[in-house]
Amino acid sequence: MNLEFKKSITWMRENLFSSIPSSILTVATSFFVLGFFRGLFGFAMASDKDWLSVLNNMQLYMVQAYPEEDFIRVWISVGLALVFAGMSIGLWKSTEESSLSEVFSKFLRVSLAFLFFTVVAPTFSSVTDNDGIIQTEESFPMETRLQLLIPSAILVVVFFLLKNVKLNYKFNKSDLLCFYLAIPIVLLWIIKLPTIQLDSSNQRIIPDPLMPIADTTKTPWTIIFGLFLAFYFIGSRFKDSKNMKRIMSISWVLLPLFIFSWIFKKPEIDLPTILGQDIPIFIGIFLIGALTITFINNPIVEKYFSIYLGVLIAITAIALFISIPILLKSALLLLVLFTIVIPAVSSSAKGKRNLIIVWGVSLFTLSVLIRGGSSDTQIIVQQQSIFGGFSLTWLLAIFGTYVSFPLGVLLALGRNSKLPIVRIVCTGIIELTRSVPYITWLFFASVTMAVFLPEGVNFELVVRVLMVTAFFSGAYFAENIRGGLQSIPKGQYEAADAIGMSPFQKTSLIVMPQALRAIIPTLVSSAITAFKDSSLVTIIGLIDFLTIGKVIIGTQSIPVNFVGHDRENLLFIAFFYWIFTFTLSRRSMKVEKRLGLGER
Amino acid sequence: MSIIKTNDVKKWFGDFQALKGISMEVEEGEVLVICGPSGSGKSTFIRCINRLEQHQEGEILVDGIELTNDLKNIEAIRSEVGMVFQSFNLFPHLTVLQNVTLAPIWVRKKSRSESEEKAMELLTRVGIPEQASKFPGQLSGGQQQRVAIARALAMEPKIMLFDEPTSALDPEMIKEVLDAMKELALSGMTMIVVTHEMGFAKEVADRVMLFDEGLMVEENTPTEFFDNPQNDRTKLFLSQIL
Repeated sequence: MNLEFKKSITWMRENLFSSIPSSILTVATSFFVLGFFRGLFGFAMASDKDWLSVLNNMQLYMVQAYPEEDFIRVWISVGLALVFAGMSIGLWKSTEESSLSEVFSKFLRVSLAFLFFTVVAPTFSSVTDNDGIIQTEESFPMETRLQLLIPSAILVVVFFLLKNVKLNYKFNKSDLLCFYLAIPIVLLWIIKLPTIQLDSSNQRIIPDPLMPIADTTKTPWTIIFGLFLAFYFIGSRFKDSKNMKRIMSISWVLLPLFIFSWIFKKPEIDLPTILGQDIPIFIGIFLIGALTITFINNPIVEKYFSIYLGVLIAITAIALFISIPILLKSALLLLVLFTIVIPAVSSSAKGKRNLIIVWGVSLFTLSVLIRGGSSDTQIIVQQQSIFGGFSLTWLLAIFGTYVSFPLGVLLALGRNSKLPIVRIVCTGIIELTRSVPYITWLFFASVTMAVFLPEGVNFELVVRVLMVTAFFSGAYFAENIRGGLQSIPKGQYEAADAIGMSPFQKTSLIVMPQALRAIIPTLVSSAITAFKDSSLVTIIGLIDFLTIGKVIIGTQSIPVNFVGHDRENLLFIAFFYWIFTFTLSRRSMKVEKRLGLGER
Repeated sequence: MSIIKTNDVKKWFGDFQALKGISMEVEEGEVLVICGPSGSGKSTFIRCINRLEQHQEGEILVDGIELTNDLKNIEAIRSEVGMVFQSFNLFPHLTVLQNVTLAPIWVRKKSRSESEEKAMELLTRVGIPEQASKFPGQLSGGQQQRVAIARALAMEPKIMLFDEPTSALDPEMIKEVLDAMKELALSGMTMIVVTHEMGFAKEVADRVMLFDEGLMVEENTPTEFFDNPQNDRTKLFLSQIL
């Protein structure tokens, strides 16, 4: 232990106090950091802060005005996401192991943070009273500090000692992750939180009594966690199956679409439309695609293939502007995209069979999603949208990335294309979208877009916002990706040419994978921007996560009094956003590491 | 029968004429070495043979197919002509094995297992089967170039083009690449090699050509070329390089 102490002294001398300027910098920075945390703790503990304004409004934050009788749909969405997460963690189970001392050092860090808080938190903090006069009050008395200091110091010592005991237990990192996730679930059943209770005259009881967490919160979370664990074990049984991994990856892509169109919206479905319209469209379009795949190598078909493709594109272009079921439009669009790809894919009998299966499954998925998404929803909310609070933020962020990323790839490729018309159109779209502020686009979506849509076609406000968001962030993605494309040396193109690859193969197998790898940090920062920019939709009357904290909660007066408590809420919102963006950037760093970007 | 035939091939880069009319023939199984000072058009010429550069005048016939703008012809020729570059140009995001199997799987539409078997065979042939699961960035220059040779061979080409394959290598690595090329030449492959390795030319080549300022100034058997050069330009070149 003495040795370790000496080591840390040497480390500090070398890294923090190596010269006079660095010593000054170290001291100044420590003062700044300490001051920041002191201020933060003082703010949080002052008696005029009502943190129940945050805690009591969790439901509002998450789903806003979504009707309570349909909450099961929300839980199913969350549950599906977590079940998928459990399955994925199992499938891609880490092979790394942590020793017991690593686990204890994690606990040590938590208890150190607690100790830091008890030491640094200020005794006095300033409070604004009812007359608006700022006063000082003793918010963290010395006795309380001592009461907390002793247990936290003991915890630090205990975990420090445990960390240094050499125990030869090893745990799988994925197993450990599940263990860590179990801690908050267990805590849900143990801890008691101050809760708003009303007395007989409908007044809030002060101080707020401590109550266990409501069953409506802890039961669903526990069930979901149970399922998470179950699917984690199922996933780890299949961890060597490449097909399962493939299915899982595709499921992740489809999950948000499915939640959006079927679970959250509760679509109104009538059987006659499905039987008389959807199924014939599906069968018809499927047969066209399947026949094209089957006879692609027939010399006559091969000869007239480009004419066929041209006619197909023309029909689809016309179809987009006439009034036919939206399912038919989307199916035609998918057929065009598929037909462009067909000649590039394997011509063996097995390859053809696989391609027909892929074609059928993707067309089916499209039909199901379109049917759900385009149906009238049965959930009626007073506001325009059933999406509000975090569910709206989530929707905009996920779609801002999911839809705009492929769009960005296509735009970037189009801008680099040799065909002048494609190049001009793509450049036009990118420049037009980028040159107008996002807020202007939002106004376009809420006010002007209806003028540009054909008669009878009308989308919900949220969908219109999603459309402009997809294009807006798509344009930024496109420029980032173009940057990545330019970083690919000419030799890579030549090598791909020299081994006889087609332009499509060259792009999808050689150029794109390298270009995307090179720009992962930029892509992640674009995704983070899309996530944060979603709060701008408040301008056109949609109620997102931030708006709830800033505007809505401040108006809750009877029986609770949350007027003027928006600062607590803003701090909570900032913290919430930070957790998401920080997790995202940490994940991307892990992905970069796994791809070995530093090594090559 | 000549497998490559060019007739008065001319090429300009802007105003600069890189090739001023090259006519030549290569027989099947022949090893042809092209040498010459830098800027003489030798690399441009062999890059014209698989259409990495486009010639503007004259004609190029590879295995009876004429190189025109027709994409079908270009793809047909490229699948018969393998190419090895000065800077290797391996795909850095794929492992060595994936680099070699990529073209058979995607261009020749062969099954993965068959391609991998063939790839391991080729990697053994160039002497690096143990590196199959590594990434190109983890290999030395000589090993990378041998992977590049294996990658080109995986397409089972009739002709191999080498564009200064040893110029970017350290001296001690040149030998391992040249050995692989020699082995290939002895197996009867048609090869066109642009190189400054005169030892290789003497030992392996059936014919040697000297390019200068876009023209072929001398064409001869190696013995004649080195011992009894006809052209003054060849004499000057040899005196500088040997």
